[in-house]
Amino acid sequence: MKGAGKTPHPTNAMETIRALQKRYCSRAMLIAIGGALLLLVLGYKPLARGLVLGTLFSIINFILMGQSLQTRIGKTQSRPTLVALVSVVFRYALMAVPLIIALFYEPYHIVTAIVGLFMVQVVILLEGARNLLWNRSSTTGIGN
Amino acid sequence: MDIELQTLIKVAAYLGGGMAIGFGAIGAAVGEGHAAAQANRALSENPGISGDIVKTMLVGQAVAESAAIFALVIAILLLFLQVPAPTLLKAASLLGAGLCIGLGALGSGIGSGMPAAEACRGIARQPQLMGRMTTTMLVGSAVCQTPAILSMVVALMLMFINFGDAPIVKSVALFGAGLCMGLGAIGSGMGSGHPAGEACKGLARQPAAAGPLTANMLVGSAVSQTPAIFAMVVALMLMFLNFGDVPFNPAWAAFLGAALSTGLSAIGSGYGCGLAAGASCEGIARHPRNVGPLTTIMLVGQAVAQTPCIFGLLVSFILMFKAFPDTAALAPAMALLSAGLCMGFGGIGPGLGNGMTAEGAIRWVARQSEHASLLMRIMLVGQAVSQSTAIYAMVISLVLIFVI
Repeated sequence: MKGAGKTPHPTNAMETIRALQKRYCSRAMLIAIGGALLLLVLGYKPLARGLVLGTLFSIINFILMGQSLQTRIGKTQSRPTLVALVSVVFRYALMAVPLIIALFYEPYHIVTAIVGLFMVQVVILLEGARNLLWNRSSTTGIGN
Repeated sequence: MDIELQTLIKVAAYLGGGMAIGFGAIGAAVGEGHAAAQANRALSENPGISGDIVKTMLVGQAVAESAAIFALVIAILLLFLQVPAPTLLKAASLLGAGLCIGLGALGSGIGSGMPAAEACRGIARQPQLMGRMTTTMLVGSAVCQTPAILSMVVALMLMFINFGDAPIVKSVALFGAGLCMGLGAIGSGMGSGHPAGEACKGLARQPAAAGPLTANMLVGSAVSQTPAIFAMVVALMLMFLNFGDVPFNPAWAAFLGAALSTGLSAIGSGYGCGLAAGASCEGIARHPRNVGPLTTIMLVGQAVAQTPCIFGLLVSFILMFKAFPDTAALAPAMALLSAGLCMGFGGIGPGLGNGMTAEGAIRWVARQSEHASLLMRIMLVGQAVSQSTAIYAMVISLVLIFVI
């Protein structure tokens, strides 16, 4: 087994995570901006704003997921448990923010804000679907 | 009266919102925790690829969290929804919507964690299969989210469709619709996680069998989700059928009983079907040449595991469509509610038991395919015996409906 017997290297793991986050988050934002531009051209400004707002918070949530790992790796048990709990509560509260903004401020549309909240997941699944359909033999695939 | 109804709407919406994210967060948290636990194990087995393992865990957790985000969206909508014309129907719909997505997201969150967990372990064993493993994990996790998506669709319908000035008993039917879909999605969501997890595990064991493994995972997961679809059918019927001028008592109990009968019985059948599909994926990974007999016995085992849910569906149909005379007494209504509870709870065990029987038979067919017909016969006999408790429950339900 590759690397068996060595100790885990948190720095390497975090570098990999950061590269992954950069890749998915930039793609999510690109899709959101592309979709928003299309909606703007068609004259649906609130829909465009909602999409970008939801995507922004989806990206922040994904980054925080990775950041909380950094504080947990290589620590004693009690502190990571507390960090994980606080992180989950904080992230869920954060995800509610774009929905509340879209519900109370007309310039943002609630439906596209909801769609935007799933943008990182959409990017992950789209990449998985692409690999499954057109790149089955790839041994690199997602996340490399 | 308007002020009272407005208060009632707020109470229903707040309760619904609380239950939505309260229940919904359980599944995702358990699923993510399971993935993290197995990632730790994988890290200790192969520390040299810690980056790849943590990366897979994070992607798997992000997908598993979708179920909780569905619940969060519905919860926020419920908390801040403006209802210009408050009615009892709307209050019941909002409460049902919260329960629907809360319970529906529970199973999917747990199920989605299984492929993420097994993918982490698989990558530790076979680091060169990283891409293929992640793809299988993502497909499996996405399929696990289907019951939560069905629940979200029903919840949104309950929240935003105007059911007009239907009779007051319709409010119980609307609440029942949410309850039925939520309960019915639990087993299917959790069950779908088994084939997805076993497919990831199997890929690490037998990379050459990736094609049959993925196909078997998809077929097994699809069949595991049939009970959730049964629940959705009952939920849609409760929402959209015009039941005419039915008397409030005992029709309220009949509608609630119908929702509980299919919703609860779908839990066992959905999970049982998942166990059978998981064993089939495991068997294909161990003995790829036996894919034919394994798929056959899996489908037969899953079909029988769904029988308790079909009994539940039958009792639901009777409760929804039988005309019950108007009465002021509580006892006849309780008999109908009990009929639904009886079939619902009575169907959970046989669904699980049938799935476990199929799981065992499938494992042995993988090892000894030459004895497939004998093993299938024994499986069917075992399932028939396990099924008998569902038949008892159905008999008592029918007595409660037609005799008492």
